[in-house]
Amino acid sequence: MVPEELKYTEEHEWIAQAGEGTVRIGITHYAQEQLGDVVFVQLPDVGDSYASGATLGEVESTKSVSDIYAPLPGEIVARNEALVDTPELINSDPYGDGWLVEIKLEDASAVNGLLDAAKYRELTGA
Amino acid sequence: MTQTPGNDALLTSPLHEAHEALGPTWAPFGGWQMPIQYSGGGVVAEHTAVREAVGIFDVSHLGKALVTGPGAAAFVNSCLTADLGKIAPGKAQYTLCCAENGGVVDDLIAYLVSEDEVFLVPNAANTAEVVRLLQAAAPEGITVTGQHRDYAVIAVQGPKSGDVLDKLGLPSDMEYMAYADADWNGYTVRVCRTGYTGEHGYELLPKWDEARALWDALAEAAASFGGRPAGLGARDTLRTEMGYPLHGHDLSLEISPVQAGSTWAVGWKKDAFWGRDALTAEKANGPKRRLRGLRAVERGVPREQMDVLNAAGEKIGETTSGTFSPTLKTGIALALIDTEAGVELGDQVTLEVRGRKLACEVVKPPFVDTKTK
Repeated sequence: MVPEELKYTEEHEWIAQAGEGTVRIGITHYAQEQLGDVVFVQLPDVGDSYASGATLGEVESTKSVSDIYAPLPGEIVARNEALVDTPELINSDPYGDGWLVEIKLEDASAVNGLLDAAKYRELTGA
Repeated sequence: MTQTPGNDALLTSPLHEAHEALGPTWAPFGGWQMPIQYSGGGVVAEHTAVREAVGIFDVSHLGKALVTGPGAAAFVNSCLTADLGKIAPGKAQYTLCCAENGGVVDDLIAYLVSEDEVFLVPNAANTAEVVRLLQAAAPEGITVTGQHRDYAVIAVQGPKSGDVLDKLGLPSDMEYMAYADADWNGYTVRVCRTGYTGEHGYELLPKWDEARALWDALAEAAASFGGRPAGLGARDTLRTEMGYPLHGHDLSLEISPVQAGSTWAVGWKKDAFWGRDALTAEKANGPKRRLRGLRAVERGVPREQMDVLNAAGEKIGETTSGTFSPTLKTGIALALIDTEAGVELGDQVTLEVRGRKLACEVVKPPFVDTKTK
């Protein structure tokens, strides 16, 4: 449940390459399991810019709410509109159809500083 | 997204190992470690099972206490708010244990066994205090005994709950709020037509050490009717859809039954019950705030302790419970709203949800039709 090809953060987000200097992010399988049934997602607007670690949205379940953090600095270039009506995609397909946003990075090489799958597995005891 | 750490200081149910086998998410509740949801289920699936088929809940954390002795029922009736004189032996009643200032120490169920015996089921965290207050007030000859770990409590709730009990040969054909002591495989089980979900349902009280066999049989029968075990997460969304108060949130030492709209559980004509003078005065003068239902009219999930704002943006109250309603697929909340704000049913108010505004309509609970009877 921790795909080898992705990068990760300690905030339980995954980061995938999505083109030239652009990444797609979502929350991990572990994170969605901890949250439980996701019922509401608040995403940032396309064009907004965020510093690393800034809160860019929220994922809310029946029992709790978690912030979504910008894993790296950059500008939002796409958001997953499907989550507006079907937020449960985050539970059913966290690494696929349940993606959150795409970010055009200020520094494309910064991805290398994120956790790899082995480090993330260590973090979650998976 | 941190996992709730295990805590050895928490009490555990006699069904703890049965839950372990179902992949539970544990949470502390009233001093007990209880399952919030199960893997393979989840709050929404477990909630829906109860509304559409049947769910079984372990609520053994609920307290149990026995009041016995000559005139035990009259004694309880002089302490707790509801009028026990309105029910016959073999029936149960929702009642309140109030402080002299009208605040609520606990809300509980009283089972009238006879004139000389009343069995009480208080909330887990309040059981010791209810027992202490009753013991302190009990006259010579009346004994109040805490029995917290003498009995387990298993709730069987949903339209198929009667079928589940029938399959086990337990009595199911009884009026709402009635109970019967039944034999099951040589064990005595108290079967009550009560619940906290708004569905047709039962609460079963087996002896603590005999609970596991009953749970296993109920789980198997429930599965055959499309049901499943359900955790306290679903119990909370189910009760919130009904507008049932949860002590410590919507009813408390600071929130009186007059404010919470629980006055139907007060026997106003009785000569005595704890808090009578304060509550009678508050009822006569009108409460300064009143518990109302709020239904979100846009996307967002209310939580407790959020500010309620009027059209001018002024704070007029605060939520006491809030969740996403799996049945309505919208946010719902209970909120204490200042009487002087003049808010009427059907009005729109705004909740302050972490810096964002969430428009809600003021409604009278239940949010979802009650089917208890």
